[in-house]
Amino acid sequence: MSRVPFYLRERLDEIRQRVLFETYEAQKLPKCEQIILTWIALFSFWIVISGNTRIENLFIGGITTLVISLLMYEMLTDDIRQSGHIIEKILYIGFFAIPQYLFIMAFRLIESNFKVAKHALLMDISPGIVKIKTDLHSDTGITILANSITLTPGTLTLDVNKKLGETYLYVHWINVETLNREVAGEKIKGDIERWLKKIFW
Amino acid sequence: MIEYFLLLLGESIMVFGTLGILRFPDVYTRLHAATKCDTGGAMTILIALAIASEAPLLIKLKFLVLAFLIALINPMVSHAIARGAYKYGIKPEVVVDMYAWDNP
Repeated sequence: MSRVPFYLRERLDEIRQRVLFETYEAQKLPKCEQIILTWIALFSFWIVISGNTRIENLFIGGITTLVISLLMYEMLTDDIRQSGHIIEKILYIGFFAIPQYLFIMAFRLIESNFKVAKHALLMDISPGIVKIKTDLHSDTGITILANSITLTPGTLTLDVNKKLGETYLYVHWINVETLNREVAGEKIKGDIERWLKKIFW
Repeated sequence: MIEYFLLLLGESIMVFGTLGILRFPDVYTRLHAATKCDTGGAMTILIALAIASEAPLLIKLKFLVLAFLIALINPMVSHAIARGAYKYGIKPEVVVDMYAWDNP
């Protein structure tokens, strides 16, 4: 790559970007599945927020959320990767992926609270800013990964550098154990990224 | 019974977070204490309230929506504060700074 002239390198980047874009377009969900997923999310949120289970309230909420999901179906489900049937997808996300994520993150959060308490009492810190690489591309996936990194013990996301085909996260680490990028990424990300890559692109 | 345990856990998490904010040396390490302990303590107290209150089920679910929103918003705000502080020019006390290597 270093011997390629500059104009050729720009052209290669352009071609690779188009290939990425086309694989992304091919892996998108169809339109009706996007509408159904958005409608389920919005309608459950309507029920919880309104706090009222009479039949006319449910009817009004269903009509309103259906109109909104017909208009704005791309907003929530733009980054969800296509795999399997729609019913399978809904069951997988609702009953397997989200409870697993909540379970993992609850225990990581409690562990990080105790770790911060230990650091505040003993002051055994050696902070540093390290750079790790992720394989995710979509905005939603990177957002969830960065928020999860902020809540896991001892790390805080400082900035995101999103480039073509490779995304880097700058992480402020309160007790730097290693400088090797792969080992640091494996320690910081854990199995959250492996979990996220099943759903998001 | 379990709600008293959860309330005590949330209170002690908040106390240690405040201790961390007072004792850590610079902005970034203080943000660690602020973000994690506020999120954990507030979520624990909200879950304890959702268990203890004698409201109907849909009102209890609203507590869980509040806990979810806190867990969503708090890391984003801490990221925004940390990045803003770095862009403003506050140097962190660190052993290695790969962000300064890439943005000279």
